[in-house]
Amino acid sequence: MDKAMIELLARRAGLDKALTEFPEDVAAAAEQASGSVARMKAPTDPRAEPWPPMKAGTGL
Amino acid sequence: MSDLHWLTAMEAAQAIAARKLSPVELMKALLERIARLDPKLNVFIHLDSDAAMGAARAAEAEITSGSLRGPLHGVPVGIKDIIDVAGLATTCHSKILIDNVAAADAVCVSRLRGTGAIVLGKLSTHEFAIGGPSFDLPWPPARNPWNPDHHPGGSSSGSGSGIAAGLFPMALGSDTGGSVRNPASACGIVGLKPTYGLVSRRGVFPLSFTLDQVGPLTRTVADNALMLDIIAGHDPLDPGSVAAPSGHYGTGLDRGVRGLRIGFIRHFHESDLPADPEVAAGLENVAATLQKLGADIRDIRLPTLGEFAAVNRVILQSEAWAIHGPWLRERPGDYGQLARRRLMAGAFMSAGDYVQAARRRLEMVAAVEDTLRQVDVLLCASAMDPPSRLDDPVETERTYPRQARTPFNVTGHPALAMVAGLSSTGLPLSVQFVGRNFAEATLFQVAREWERAAGTEEKHPPIG
Repeated sequence: MDKAMIELLARRAGLDKALTEFPEDVAAAAEQASGSVARMKAPTDPRAEPWPPMKAGTGL
Repeated sequence: MSDLHWLTAMEAAQAIAARKLSPVELMKALLERIARLDPKLNVFIHLDSDAAMGAARAAEAEITSGSLRGPLHGVPVGIKDIIDVAGLATTCHSKILIDNVAAADAVCVSRLRGTGAIVLGKLSTHEFAIGGPSFDLPWPPARNPWNPDHHPGGSSSGSGSGIAAGLFPMALGSDTGGSVRNPASACGIVGLKPTYGLVSRRGVFPLSFTLDQVGPLTRTVADNALMLDIIAGHDPLDPGSVAAPSGHYGTGLDRGVRGLRIGFIRHFHESDLPADPEVAAGLENVAATLQKLGADIRDIRLPTLGEFAAVNRVILQSEAWAIHGPWLRERPGDYGQLARRRLMAGAFMSAGDYVQAARRRLEMVAAVEDTLRQVDVLLCASAMDPPSRLDDPVETERTYPRQARTPFNVTGHPALAMVAGLSSTGLPLSVQFVGRNFAEATLFQVAREWERAAGTEEKHPPIG
């Protein structure tokens, strides 16, 4: 993720203050996120469901 | 009675019930030890000594008059400071919540108090159970009683350190990516992450809704089973709570392991994250010991630790961002640096990333379920390294993710970490046992057999 993209996403998330006061921390957070997403293997079966599944409520 | 601080919860409770030990005498001994050792270990964020002594006096009066509240009457317990105790602040070890006084006990605390346990105080954690060990917070990080220069594991750091140091016999922690099992591993005690949904999370500050679970930390397996007996149970006001049968977790403790099938996940520590040689040797010793005692040890394969860790991180950080986003936008400077970095990561993940992680999660749940149709229990590493030095942030950053605990937060299965031996430098080594959902009793059975064979309950750190 390049610097411009990090700034764009941080501002969209409302992190303007953090971007001004802690720019290195914002960059480190973006790097952590892209690393975890890149290491994750998505299911190849388009019908694969998420877990936990949606279930009808039983009157909480 | 000598060495009151090394009494297990069960020994203390039995001695108190038999009127061989006064709860006041026990509390005095522990408070004196805390006064002497806590300045070195930083276990407590808030020591509630007056209230604890008052409760000990009340317990003594009740027991003397023939009224026993339950199996932990008069026994002190420590509470991780993300769990509510009525009238005390739940700070989450953070400036953000420094004045956040709880109106009521968390369900798990209420259950313990209902059996007569006495809350000693609130214990150190990583900031919001994720940002640590840190030196830029209102309180210092806890230290390891086996060597105070070393990390006690986290995020339930004070829980692990205090139990191992003999400051109290039992504590509550929480586990989202291994935070009960990490301090249990680093401090040489017993820590359980129960099956997801077995213990109510109501009154516990969330880190990640679908991963968080409350768990007991103790010095012995029997104490852990006793604590779980008390804190487990359905809570209709916790949406993740499961109405499953619970209790009697200690009934099979002395059944041994003859005939049990144990799957050894060697690739976790041999190829996924090659472990320190002493850790690997410790795991082989546990497996060989259980095999000699009659267990059928088989090799098992699961997805790699890297895959599990990525799914855990995407889910954890997405859910944590949903909780912390408002504060991170307005008060980023009130977080320590580690928490700020880890909690902001969710802002850079998409809804699609989160759903893909949840879809991959189902495949991982199925993979573990498949293996647990072939074997009764899994055996694997917990930590890949002995605990790092606290003054070496680079080494702490390197070793922290080198662990095999996150898979079972992703899949929800119960997992117990405990001591496997000591390193050549005198630091605890660890092992992890994993069971079928709601089969904690079998986990305790295996763990107790290892504890008995290795005599681990007799080993205490050279402190105080």
